[in-house]
Amino acid sequence: MMKNPYLPQRAKIESIRPETRGERAIKTFKLVLADKASQENFVHKSGQCAMVGILGVGESMISISSSPTQKGYLEFSIMKMGKVTSALHNSEVGEVLTIRGPYGNHFPLEEWKNKNIITIGGGIGQAPLRSVINYIQDRRKDYREIDIIYGARSTIDLCYKEELFDLEKRTDIRVHLSIDVEEEGWDKFVGFVPNNLLRIKPSPKNSIAVTCGPPVMIKFVIKSLLDLGFSDHQIYTTVENRMKCGIGKCGRCNVGSFYVCKDGPVFSYETLKQLSEI
Amino acid sequence: MEKFILPKEKLIDFLKALESYDLFAPVRKEEVTVFAQVNKIDGTTFDFKNQPLTPKGIMFPQTESLFTFDTKTYAMNDSAMTPKKQRVMFGLRPCDARSFLILDPVFKQDYPDPYYLEKRTATILIGINCSEPFTNCFCTSVGGSPASQEGLDLLFIELPNSYFVEVISPQGKTIVEEASSLLSSASPEEEKIKDEIVQAVKEKIKRNIETKHLPEKIEKIFENPIWKDLAFKCIGCGICTYTCPTCYCFDIQDEVLKGGGKRQRIWDSCMFKEYTLHASGHNPRPTRAERLRNRIYHKFKQNIDKYGVAGCVGCGRCISFCPVNEDLIENLMKIKKL
Repeated sequence: MMKNPYLPQRAKIESIRPETRGERAIKTFKLVLADKASQENFVHKSGQCAMVGILGVGESMISISSSPTQKGYLEFSIMKMGKVTSALHNSEVGEVLTIRGPYGNHFPLEEWKNKNIITIGGGIGQAPLRSVINYIQDRRKDYREIDIIYGARSTIDLCYKEELFDLEKRTDIRVHLSIDVEEEGWDKFVGFVPNNLLRIKPSPKNSIAVTCGPPVMIKFVIKSLLDLGFSDHQIYTTVENRMKCGIGKCGRCNVGSFYVCKDGPVFSYETLKQLSEI
Repeated sequence: MEKFILPKEKLIDFLKALESYDLFAPVRKEEVTVFAQVNKIDGTTFDFKNQPLTPKGIMFPQTESLFTFDTKTYAMNDSAMTPKKQRVMFGLRPCDARSFLILDPVFKQDYPDPYYLEKRTATILIGINCSEPFTNCFCTSVGGSPASQEGLDLLFIELPNSYFVEVISPQGKTIVEEASSLLSSASPEEEKIKDEIVQAVKEKIKRNIETKHLPEKIEKIFENPIWKDLAFKCIGCGICTYTCPTCYCFDIQDEVLKGGGKRQRIWDSCMFKEYTLHASGHNPRPTRAERLRNRIYHKFKQNIDKYGVAGCVGCGRCISFCPVNEDLIENLMKIKKL
């Protein structure tokens, strides 16, 4: 019998870490595939996604926020948004979810060796970037200067706070956090992410900039990067669309002739700007 | 290529000779003719006039269970995927046969889809030529013809008192061998009559459009306000997609029944707002203009980019069934004129 790409694997929730609160809370789920060999065979690359689901509810395409260098488990940071993600937020440690994947293309981290890397994230958009950051930490020698620019509406909306505060203490990685509106006790940048980027002014020389976040943020970040002298091929981002199959068949996630699930989610600005409907 | 003659009165016997297969053919069901499995073969069963509905559902059912599951044990079972018997689909038109060639790469490439492919490879296709094209047929504009062999294993061409049978593939040959006592070799005279009939049918096709430079044109006018005009009367009912032999978009939904359930795939339509609606409320195709544009883009640009062939066989159903007279050919004409 043929392999069935629609049949998911069972995955147990190892731990759940709340990242942000509120109506659109974010939680990071650590999942381990029930079948040990399948867990070992589940080899992903930074930027790839997987279909995370609950039997009886459905599936959602979620970015894998752990790095391929973190072995034995997978992490997904999920915002409570629709039917499936709300059900996921109601699940508890020990429950069994389903996973299919990994799907899609990835950030070309091999090609980026010996370059400066600047990640620019906003809100939940930090999830795919976290995979990149964790990967680079584990392969630090392979990359030059690292700048992590990340912002959210307020301090309670920042994901991965502990990890980022720890990274701030390192001397070989620069972290630039921001919040949109002033708060008592916040001594870092206040303002939108693109403005923080313009303040930091990373050099385009031998650099790659990767940005993920709300569409309006991405738009202004790309504009700012171009103003700073970055070329189209030095800028990378991810695209998201509604998905059902994840394998380039159900039709709905196309942007131009590309399926985001299979041909994306990672696009260079060079490719992206030629696509209509973005 | 081998050619045979089957007298019309022997057709039922021919189909009976294939009883070791599961037979699918056009049958009358209430007011419409649909492709369905045939359990009783006699003279009243079939309706071989041009079919308003496509046979694509035999390979890609409108609703299909992908697997069943148990919500307590998390067990999943997809064993009901492979057809138990070899199948014969009899009586499909050349345009519908070609549609399977357009659907094949979608389900074959990258991640082979066992649900479609298992049925597809288990099915032998026996076509009947188109003798009475519908008013909106335009197969000859998109590479087809009323007696095209493409995608078929056997083709029956209707002569006044008999069928001219063309053997196209080894599977077709097997079928012919199983019914050999009913067939006689075709003579050159009969072949000549057949050619004249085919030519005469071609001339009955009244609608046409030159599609050569459409892909570049569609890309070029993507942001043009014309899409809004073209979609002005569209009511977003999706009938164009449901009657289309090459539309394959689908949804996946879980149906839960007491402690268990099944994950199903159901035909979906790019003409529906919910099709692309994000959980956040954002919709990349918020109005019918973007949706109609996407459908035309998918058929005449994206499908060519991805699979090298337009996603249209020129059957004209999307035009004939549209409740508000959206006319694909007219729309394409307007696009070309820009």
